[in-house]
Amino acid sequence: MNCDTMKSQVFPYVDAELPTELRNEMESHLVECETCRRVVQQEFAFREVYITHLRPDPAPPQLRDKVTQLLAGLGAPTALARRPWYKVFLYTGAAVVLLAVGVTLGLRLGAVIERGNVLDEMAEASVEQHQKLSRGQMPPDITKVSPQAAEDWFRHRVDFKVSLPDLKSPNVALVGARMSRLANAEVAAIDYKLDRYRVSLFIMPEEAYNQLGLSEKPRFKILKRRGYDVIVWRHQATGYTLVSEIGSRACYVCHSPDEKFGGASLESFVRL
Amino acid sequence: MDKVSEFQAYVAGCLDSLHNYALLLVRPPDDHEDLLQESLLRAFRGFDSFDPELPFKAWVFSIIRNTHIDRHRRRKASPLEDPLNDAQSTGMLYSPLFSIPLAPEAILLRQETIEHVRDGIRRLPLLMREVVELRDIEGLSYRTIATIIDRPIGTVMSRLYRGRNLLRTYLVDPRREDGHATRGRHEL
Repeated sequence: MNCDTMKSQVFPYVDAELPTELRNEMESHLVECETCRRVVQQEFAFREVYITHLRPDPAPPQLRDKVTQLLAGLGAPTALARRPWYKVFLYTGAAVVLLAVGVTLGLRLGAVIERGNVLDEMAEASVEQHQKLSRGQMPPDITKVSPQAAEDWFRHRVDFKVSLPDLKSPNVALVGARMSRLANAEVAAIDYKLDRYRVSLFIMPEEAYNQLGLSEKPRFKILKRRGYDVIVWRHQATGYTLVSEIGSRACYVCHSPDEKFGGASLESFVRL
Repeated sequence: MDKVSEFQAYVAGCLDSLHNYALLLVRPPDDHEDLLQESLLRAFRGFDSFDPELPFKAWVFSIIRNTHIDRHRRRKASPLEDPLNDAQSTGMLYSPLFSIPLAPEAILLRQETIEHVRDGIRRLPLLMREVVELRDIEGLSYRTIATIIDRPIGTVMSRLYRGRNLLRTYLVDPRREDGHATRGRHEL
């Protein structure tokens, strides 16, 4: 195998789509050829850094509702019609028994699942808003302002406190801010840029956060959704959601990297 | 688990992907939500023929694609307006723009965001974007993609090769408006 043949097959090789024989030929060539080896390494690096993190765009909630309704109506009458009459009573009786058992045993579990679902929905909605902010589908109401000016702007629009610390690093910029909706409430949405990454901070009133019914522990709820990192927490009377691609490093939009929290670094404090 | 529940569970597990694919195929003013719902009804009617050895979403992708083509045929759309007729774009797809894959080194050095890469994929001409998304976002094999688009594996490889190269040119130079790409989008 020569270098040109190798390069023409580099995509199928990285995709693990080559027949065994050709793959073996390529690997023999790669042992001998440093240039081709570097090409393949770059392809694997590109895949690792970008491709493995790509996810389909989330389906909008209203479409999910429509599909749920559509699927709920599938096949029900015909399925019932096919069953002998006595089986209907049998199934109904079994369903009643199961329901009673489920209600008795499932209340606690239900509450836990409900909390999990609420957190999931919150994370999904936050990611969706983050995507719209960073893609310009939700243009900011104010741009290129200081955190102080953004606080002032929100003070006239929301009845909860929006507190935005000064930017701690030249790598952080406040791209813009706007009103938005999360958890059925008006929230403050702040769009930051940290190095090359966009970070969205959503600040919600206490009542809206309380309605989520989230447990107090862990203090910082850290989730991964559609390749984004979502951190949900409460501080005093305010709820927060932070969305980014850079994990707890996103906290640097408000805190300096060397800041200590009870002696702990920011990263370890968030994971406590 | 009965048939309805099983189908519902399958759909719930890949609704984002199904929505994304319908959105990819449909151009305004057509409604991708209508296409998705009609396709799901068709899929349910044919659910008995679904082979669980295949990814469920791949099976529904092919139904969405066929439903889309059928809807165009019902409207007696001109072949030039058929978004999945690649006759007019054959030259675009097979004329050699690049002899070897463009090295991604410059893109890695620029530390582009994943969102930027995703936007680059959205800019690709439809036929390239389709295979790039099916492979790189949905993670489907070449053979499965060939089944969905009803073309030989060689066509899948060719579109993927060119789509990935074009994506890299967009990422290296975001302002680039590739002549082939522009023509492709309008024709498709």
